[in-house]
Amino acid sequence: MDTSRSYLEPSSFSKKMAAAIIIVYAVITLIPISWMVMTSFKNVDSAISYPPEVLFEPSLEGYVNLFTNRSRQSQEYLDSLPPPENWYEELVRSREMVITGPSKFLGRYSNSMIIGFGSTFASVFLGALAAYAFSRFRVPLKDDLLFFILSTRMFPPIAVAVPIFIMYRKLGLGDTHLGMIILYTVVNLSLAVWLLKGFMDEIPKEYEEAAMIDGYSRLQAFFKVVLPQAMTGIAATAIFCMIFSWNEYAFAVLLTQFNAQTAPPFIPTIIGEGGLDWPAIGAGTTLFLLPVMIFTIILRKHLLRGITFGAVRK
Amino acid sequence: MAKVELIKLFKTYNKKIKALEDINLTIEDGQFFVLLGPSGAGKTTTLRCIAGLEKIDSGDVLFDDENITHDQPASRDVSFVFQQYSLYPHYTVYENLAFPLKSPMRKLPEEEIKNKVEKIAEMLKITNKLKNKATELSGGEMQRVAIGRALVREPNIYLMDEPLSSLDAKLRETLRVELKNIQLNLNATILYVTHDQAEATTLADKIGVLKEGKIVQIGTPEEIYENPNSIYVSQRLGSPKINILPGSLFKLNNIAKIGLRPENIELGNGPYEGKVISTENLGSETVVAINFQDNEILASIQGIYKSSINEKINFDINTNKVLKFDNGDQRIYER
Repeated sequence: MDTSRSYLEPSSFSKKMAAAIIIVYAVITLIPISWMVMTSFKNVDSAISYPPEVLFEPSLEGYVNLFTNRSRQSQEYLDSLPPPENWYEELVRSREMVITGPSKFLGRYSNSMIIGFGSTFASVFLGALAAYAFSRFRVPLKDDLLFFILSTRMFPPIAVAVPIFIMYRKLGLGDTHLGMIILYTVVNLSLAVWLLKGFMDEIPKEYEEAAMIDGYSRLQAFFKVVLPQAMTGIAATAIFCMIFSWNEYAFAVLLTQFNAQTAPPFIPTIIGEGGLDWPAIGAGTTLFLLPVMIFTIILRKHLLRGITFGAVRK
Repeated sequence: MAKVELIKLFKTYNKKIKALEDINLTIEDGQFFVLLGPSGAGKTTTLRCIAGLEKIDSGDVLFDDENITHDQPASRDVSFVFQQYSLYPHYTVYENLAFPLKSPMRKLPEEEIKNKVEKIAEMLKITNKLKNKATELSGGEMQRVAIGRALVREPNIYLMDEPLSSLDAKLRETLRVELKNIQLNLNATILYVTHDQAEATTLADKIGVLKEGKIVQIGTPEEIYENPNSIYVSQRLGSPKINILPGSLFKLNNIAKIGLRPENIELGNGPYEGKVISTENLGSETVVAINFQDNEILASIQGIYKSSINEKINFDINTNKVLKFDNGDQRIYER
């Protein structure tokens, strides 16, 4: 029995229990994701084989199919072609097909990037400015305004789909990057303002007062002193906003078709011959997962730093 | 450095709470001016009004006869040491000290900034901490950096809001001496706020005593100590505290109250007889509390004074040093 620990510290037994619970939980949540990643590296047959294959020969077929359009050709035609120039052409030909061109995936993916990061940046930037104003200035009707901002979250965003659809058609914002960025920013902004206001309230106003006396304007003090200290809140808010706009499906289906279509409405349309092309869908969703994951990992260090920060400051 | 004048300054918070009422004071160029008063007297508000952090209701703030009442804080060129050290936690000590010099108001060349920061760091003995994060410092070091950030430039006036109050007693004494030396070397204009009488008397060229948003007396530390104009002011300075007693106790029947400094009481002989309540030996002096006709009187005697509790004791008072006050606690001046 370890007797040297303080009374405030959990016992080694409860620490082990906590670790066990976390591991079980992590395994449960990771099963679908790891299955998805595994599917993306299977070929079409092993993806749907029964019983499911846990050990399989990895193949990049899913990724090749995701990025290309192909057409089936007769063996004679294939024989008449010059030998394949690279590995993916070879892979496609082994399936008696030829590559007819790149698929739309890359375009949809970059649409998702532009709209996701664009609206995240706009939400956090505008949210930070609004939160700062609500936190520091005597805004007339402050409480009513804050409630009004929150009230935009009291119904599911899709409830206003029809008016937005009509508005966007009149304004020419349908199927544009700008339109989607504005839409997602509007949805995220209430969350951003409320989250960030909490963080801004925590920052003593002495910091920006000191900066203003040191020769900076209020706006300069905001960027130089307040924003760096609100990094924890900004990171958390950015992650929430990013996840929403990255994953959003309903508005994307409704408002985008060609020019500004994001990846979520596109991925389900990847249909193979004689059934769904599961490896390609797996590849699409795996790649779709990466940016949010990387984004969260990058910002995580600010989240952690924020926690210790609060403990140190008096 | 500049001469700073406040003329008829009025300030209320939320249109109700009176913070400052008719503040008039002049801080001469190179003067160390201390505002003394209990918390809530308006000391900090006065500083914030000079710095431009608070909008004043009416009145004028002049720097070298130039009216800057409506200028932004940045353009007033003052420096401020806050009560809680408000170092920028995301910067190193060096960056904190360089921050005011890098501001758009000044924009000094990098080389000059470096020289100035190193000079001030040496003065405050924090040279070896320059690369530390501001959060990795002890309380004393943080406050020295905060003072350094104010001293690194030469503003119109240095405003200091109880800069030493969060430090332990020993460090406070050291920094107090350092601060006075720095002020003399730089010939700096300083407005310093405190409720600590030792700081007020050791640092000040002039003291202004604040009471509920009004200045009740301005004078040198000696004047405030020896010649206070009211009971309130007389109680601001002196340790142990001044004795406030009814005049009738010493046959001064037409005088409501008298103020008697503990050092102006002689023990041993005299016409008055009381009983010892307690003695407190402070080394260089002994404070004796005497019960005299149901009033407690504190007397301070040089050196160590031995007596036991309830012992009878005779004493005399130095009548020339007695301060006389009327019913309204105001001083009665003899002609």
